[in-house]
Amino acid sequence: MMLELFNFVMDIGEQMLISGAEVHRVEDSINRMCLALGAVRVDVFIITSSIVVTVHTADGQTHTQTRRVVSVGTNYEKLHLLNELSREICEKGITQKEIEQKFNAAVNCKKFPLWFEFVCYAVIAGAFTLFFGGSIIEALVSLSVGVAVRLGIFFCDKLISNKIFGKFFSAVVATFLAFWAVKLGWIADVDKVIIGNIMTLIPGIGLTNALRDLFTGDSIAGLLRSIEAVLTALAIAAGYFLVAVLGGFAL
Amino acid sequence: MTQTEMIQILTGFIGSVGFAILFNIRGKRLVAAAMGGLLSWFLFVILSAFISSEAICYFIVAWAISTYSEIMARVLKTPTTTFITAALIPLIPGGSLYYTMANAFHGNMEGFLQKAIYTLQLSAALALGIIVSTTLFNILQRIIKSKSAEKQTQV
Repeated sequence: MMLELFNFVMDIGEQMLISGAEVHRVEDSINRMCLALGAVRVDVFIITSSIVVTVHTADGQTHTQTRRVVSVGTNYEKLHLLNELSREICEKGITQKEIEQKFNAAVNCKKFPLWFEFVCYAVIAGAFTLFFGGSIIEALVSLSVGVAVRLGIFFCDKLISNKIFGKFFSAVVATFLAFWAVKLGWIADVDKVIIGNIMTLIPGIGLTNALRDLFTGDSIAGLLRSIEAVLTALAIAAGYFLVAVLGGFAL
Repeated sequence: MTQTEMIQILTGFIGSVGFAILFNIRGKRLVAAAMGGLLSWFLFVILSAFISSEAICYFIVAWAISTYSEIMARVLKTPTTTFITAALIPLIPGGSLYYTMANAFHGNMEGFLQKAIYTLQLSAALALGIIVSTTLFNILQRIIKSKSAEKQTQV
């Protein structure tokens, strides 16, 4: 097995984890790819923030690589392409150049433009306000608050790359604007507007994935994800509390 | 089906599509994920007419949607997570999480505990539904694999 191909396998695994694959899946993919590339034995250990792989080659050598994974941003198009690539490597007959090309194509895959993300946030917030029993006017308020929330995330990403703080700040923005809309007399109750916007912030998927990891035996990854989900929920609650207490709107 | 339920199915669907786009799901996979989002709350509405416990409804819907996702993942050759995450969006207990917070803020400890436990219950039901489906699929796959291996050795 060539060392350079081992690098690619690590890159693919790293990118899969970043784009939102489960720990179990990445472990499985790395294992298969290494075996297909001629490794005799593969030891893979992955948690959400780190990858450690040791391969034993047929000529008795061992190679170990680790990768530190910092940011995670769900991108299933990228994951899809990487998954296809890892399948092709397992089926063999793919040259190193092709691997390189396909890997670069996956990493630089098409994304929706940024303004469209603003639209999505607004539409999601508005839709879930209606979902939880809000009126049309509440949904419209929620829609505009959704844009503000995405704007908050945008600035947080630029200024400080701390996801938890970003959620806190977004919760502050959403709660503040909701209470303000009540004060202006546009809506009677903040509940539905805040719920609609919480749906865009909430770690619901995170918590579900965390529980999945825990139940399927990836306990460390599961615990890390659970803590992350709980911290995010606490950050959202803290943002809500801050505005409700300091603003005195709720009293 | 009441008007509220129709609105919920429609808005849940829109929410799912929104998240699917944020997760950068494209093409046929986007259609499949969106259909899952539509299906999930539709199933929930139907089930809740017969079953009074929301947690049990959540469990069954999560199981059904994960099974749908496993099938679509094999048809479209892509990781199952793609469909599960987008399709189960309407089931995320955002409302009860908010009321947990609101009760804590207003000092209503009884309500806070009740809502907190309820939120956890729903999340656990969701996760369990997914796990049961995934495990069953793994067993099925293993059986099919060993059967085809048997056939090969016989020939």
